[in-house]
Amino acid sequence: MKEFAVFWGCTIQTRFPFIEKSTRIVLESFKLPYRDIDGFTCCPERSLVNNIDHGAFVVTAARNVALVDELDYDLVSPCTGCVSNLATVKGELKANPREKAEVNKLLKEVGREFKGTAKLQHLVPFFHDTVGVNAIKQKIKKDFSGMRIGIHYGCHMVRPSHALRNDDPLEPKKFDTLISALGAQSLQFMTKMMCCGQGLDRIDEHDRALHFARIKLKELKSLGCDALVLCCPSCFLQFDNNQFLMEKEGEKFGIPVIYFTELLGLAMGYKPEELGLDLHRVDCTPFVKKWESLSARPPKEDAIDDGLNAPGDI
Amino acid sequence: MLEATLNLKLLEQCSKCGACFSICPSCMHIPGYDPRAVIRDILDGNHDKWLSSRHIWQCLECHYCLEMCYQHYGFENAMTALRTIAAKKGIHPTQVKRGWEMFVKTSRLGEPALPARKKLGLPEPKASGADEFKKLFALLKAAREKHENPEGKGSE
Repeated sequence: MKEFAVFWGCTIQTRFPFIEKSTRIVLESFKLPYRDIDGFTCCPERSLVNNIDHGAFVVTAARNVALVDELDYDLVSPCTGCVSNLATVKGELKANPREKAEVNKLLKEVGREFKGTAKLQHLVPFFHDTVGVNAIKQKIKKDFSGMRIGIHYGCHMVRPSHALRNDDPLEPKKFDTLISALGAQSLQFMTKMMCCGQGLDRIDEHDRALHFARIKLKELKSLGCDALVLCCPSCFLQFDNNQFLMEKEGEKFGIPVIYFTELLGLAMGYKPEELGLDLHRVDCTPFVKKWESLSARPPKEDAIDDGLNAPGDI
Repeated sequence: MLEATLNLKLLEQCSKCGACFSICPSCMHIPGYDPRAVIRDILDGNHDKWLSSRHIWQCLECHYCLEMCYQHYGFENAMTALRTIAAKKGIHPTQVKRGWEMFVKTSRLGEPALPARKKLGLPEPKASGADEFKKLFALLKAAREKHENPEGKGSE
């Protein structure tokens, strides 16, 4: 497997260092060739930077990609926004040689060159495609059979598809495949692919952001969902933090929000506190307790053996 | 140079289509949010009507419209163009202003939470590329000025 740099992004390192922790734990346990490298900046965040200055958006992303190109690494990120922004610019420059030349003229003056050779992947499709379901299954100590999980893909894990090209942009499957591999049931629900709406919080429309979160949480609650699983810090902020704020106002959904790396870590035998589940705003203990009570049941084969060995009239 | 642009020919087609309307989350959940009205006004030369509207910022950039678009153009491109014009005029949301200022100043949207990292046993964060980024940003600005004013003549 080719070495890859991890692009942590601003949100994880600023607000959710425990996501970095669980990501490192799973990368380590799979002995994956990941590297931390100097020199990254913000990816940059599309809604803040691209809206104001498209050129700044392009050169900043191109520079980040150039850092990885130079080392002949690939890039993997546990943040959907970062990968999507970097890939969007990579796609734009590959399709526009003249623009690429303009950008490289600027980059040359700081000693860099954008080539666009590095593969840019989000952690979920990376685990699906590069690590593989079989390797994951071999690492599972205790699976999630009996648990009902609602997946939130996060728009930028799969879109824009011309740049990311990692799954179906409207009906993606890879995250579902991974969750099923962990033994859980991935619920199919109406609002599964609905945007989280966190962007509304960034334009001073907090009530509307809550409205968006509420729509999905309501549906998941009605379906008896045990946890909402996602792999995007912005969506995590929306469903964990904003759900907590609604709880404080007396509107309780009680849907734990679990990062993909945390769920994977739990299945591999790491403790909830090691993975940082105790640092979430919405309480994750109902999820962990139900899971523990399910796995306290005797294994299915025991019941069959008992039946086979039971006294009978044969 | 490296500026946002708007393709009116493609938007002309958009005004007759509306495939994005059926899937856009903001169209579904924000009363009054309607790409078709915005596109009509842009084509009629009344884009400035939207510059101070909340609606142009309520586009969540989820890229659904881009995926649905028969031209692979996407209504979001029209919204981005309007937002860029609004930002140039200084009529963008406070948090967007704050985020942009922080980005230009530090090259990031926040610094690693050091005490929490230590508690979690995470390694020291790697060096940021802030200095190089600042240089690059200055170069971009200089290149643009040169582009607009190639002979180096002042505007006075």
